[in-house]
Amino acid sequence: MNKKLVSLAVGSLMTSSAFANTLSNPQIGVVLDGYYQDGERNNSERSEGFGLGHTELNMSANIDDKFFGSLTTVIESHGDETELLLEEAFIETLALPYGLNVRAGRFLSDFGYLNNQHMHTDSFAERPVAYRTFLGSHYYDDGVRASIVLPTDMYIKLGVEALSGGKMSSVEDGTTVGVYMANLKLGNDFSDSSSWQFGLSYLRNENGKVSEFEDDHSHDSDHDHDHSHAAAITGSNLYGADFVWKWAPDGNYKYSNLTLAAEYMLLDGVVGSEYKDNANSPDNLSAYYVSGVYRFNPSWSAGVRYGEAESYSGSPAHFHAMNDTEMDLMVAWDASHFGTIRAQYSRVENQESHKGSETDNVFTLQYTMTFGAHGAHAF
Amino acid sequence: MHSKLTFSKCSLAMIAAGAAIISSPSFALNIFVCEPEWEALLTSHAPNATIYSATTAKQDPHYVQARPSLIAKMRQADMAMCSGAELEVGWLPMLQARSSNRAVQDGAQSMIYASDFIGMLDTHDHVDRSMGDIHAAGNPHVQFAANQMISLSHVITERLQNIDPDNAPLYQENGTQFRTHWQQKMNEWSEKAAPLRGKQVVGYHETYRYLYDWLGMKQVADLEPKPGVSPTTSHLQSLTKLDANTFDVIVYSTHQNQRPANWLHEFTDKPIIQLPLTVSKGQSLDEMVDQVIDELLDVLVTPESEAP
Repeated sequence: MNKKLVSLAVGSLMTSSAFANTLSNPQIGVVLDGYYQDGERNNSERSEGFGLGHTELNMSANIDDKFFGSLTTVIESHGDETELLLEEAFIETLALPYGLNVRAGRFLSDFGYLNNQHMHTDSFAERPVAYRTFLGSHYYDDGVRASIVLPTDMYIKLGVEALSGGKMSSVEDGTTVGVYMANLKLGNDFSDSSSWQFGLSYLRNENGKVSEFEDDHSHDSDHDHDHSHAAAITGSNLYGADFVWKWAPDGNYKYSNLTLAAEYMLLDGVVGSEYKDNANSPDNLSAYYVSGVYRFNPSWSAGVRYGEAESYSGSPAHFHAMNDTEMDLMVAWDASHFGTIRAQYSRVENQESHKGSETDNVFTLQYTMTFGAHGAHAF
Repeated sequence: MHSKLTFSKCSLAMIAAGAAIISSPSFALNIFVCEPEWEALLTSHAPNATIYSATTAKQDPHYVQARPSLIAKMRQADMAMCSGAELEVGWLPMLQARSSNRAVQDGAQSMIYASDFIGMLDTHDHVDRSMGDIHAAGNPHVQFAANQMISLSHVITERLQNIDPDNAPLYQENGTQFRTHWQQKMNEWSEKAAPLRGKQVVGYHETYRYLYDWLGMKQVADLEPKPGVSPTTSHLQSLTKLDANTFDVIVYSTHQNQRPANWLHEFTDKPIIQLPLTVSKGQSLDEMVDQVIDELLDVLVTPESEAP
């Protein structure tokens, strides 16, 4: 009798746990990213040879009916070094009225179009040179965000963020809250087949201006070689504008579709005003990219991207103006919705005012595959 | 507007008064649906509501962009209805999160998943992506489960009454009317579709699983090698080896590429039927079922009955 009860209890436990797997939390997802690369792009997270890119482990769940939580760790490997990074660890409200939303913890800033998206959803092997120069590829930080979506048929979202700013700091003892970000996003459909989104962002960086140079040529002198998660160049104010347009025949994205995206960034307050009049003194550095990706059937897509970013090297005695341009061509094969193999060729041209220009050809063969829970993609 | 009304319960008198002025008894519910079939179903239950469908009949509901306009519509919704069973898993969760709207979060009264109230077919204890795009909760294409729309109608009526109590009698009346009419149609359909019983089909995706189950038909092979995986040449080659006696017709949907079906038709000479994925604009749900049954009968039955 007792045995029967026990086996009944065990049986029901097991059936309920089978349901728990599909229904209950947490959602666990893994992204595997590996590559072989010939050459190297400026300020890049990927180095030459075989390597692992953005290997992600994500766990997320509704904490209760009021909060959602998410944790993303990233494991990156470069040569003999393996790095464990905590990219996201945040909580977010689910139940605030009036379209309000608050997020706290560590998260990807909402600046620009690409920054808040996970790298594995990108169409190219690397972020555009603009992102690699001004945002450290993708800018995540500790802080809080508040946003509101207005109750209008056109999508209007306003957001503000306050962040620690450590990764964007160019000073020794910066203010505790270093970065403030505000942005506006608008979007709508042109028709059943095409949709757009437009964004304006402003990032105030209290610790972004370089006012002290330790010794000649130390600042940024090694930025060609080392991979880095911090922004290569910082300034007091970063302005951004972005536009995305997506099209599919009748709005059916399964068989073919086209995505066009462009972003422009402007950085000012790069060095202290006392250096304003020095030769080649950097100010109003700009960067942009335009990209187009066409999917011509469920398995194949191809894309092209062109971008430029201005930066500088040296110190007040010898500032050097730099300009990186990059042309990328990409072809990707999707084994399914969950696995992609991509080949990308980049023609990189780095101009430096005192050296002239250098041209490089970079070739990357990469896979990005996911298993486990697979979060919905943003527009 | 409606969210203001519920919020006013625990809020300042001023907000309550303001909301009361805005929400006169005749205010229209704002409803977001993922697929047009739920727009049709809800229109019969709440004709005064403003209903917005995220997809059209020409779009594959697995592949939808979580585009800004949908977030904006989701933000304003008092209620949402989707097929569920992970059909919309690639985009709906993003809309729910970005809309910051309590009414459309999972677990809310006002967030309805049709598959929660339908006897699901092809559920799996174990799901692996090597099996293709299959869902543990079962086949999500429940819009053709005509024999279960009456129980779904009960659920919708109850939810509408809870969300918009001012108009409860109206929803009661519309619900009863829908179910009476549907029952009449069910009797009509079971008589009319009787000759379809036992017919065998080569399909394109398991879109009509519930329809075939209801009508006693059977999908014996699929143009897709695995659910959600596009037809490959080698798989189509293998279908040409099917015994001609084992199937009567090739079926695909309006939103799908017609080439694989044509290809198999050329090899086997079996007729092709293109069936709708969902209601067309302005069509009601029973008109869609009528259309599907008529189109099946046209190809599968009429020629034979005219023969003698």
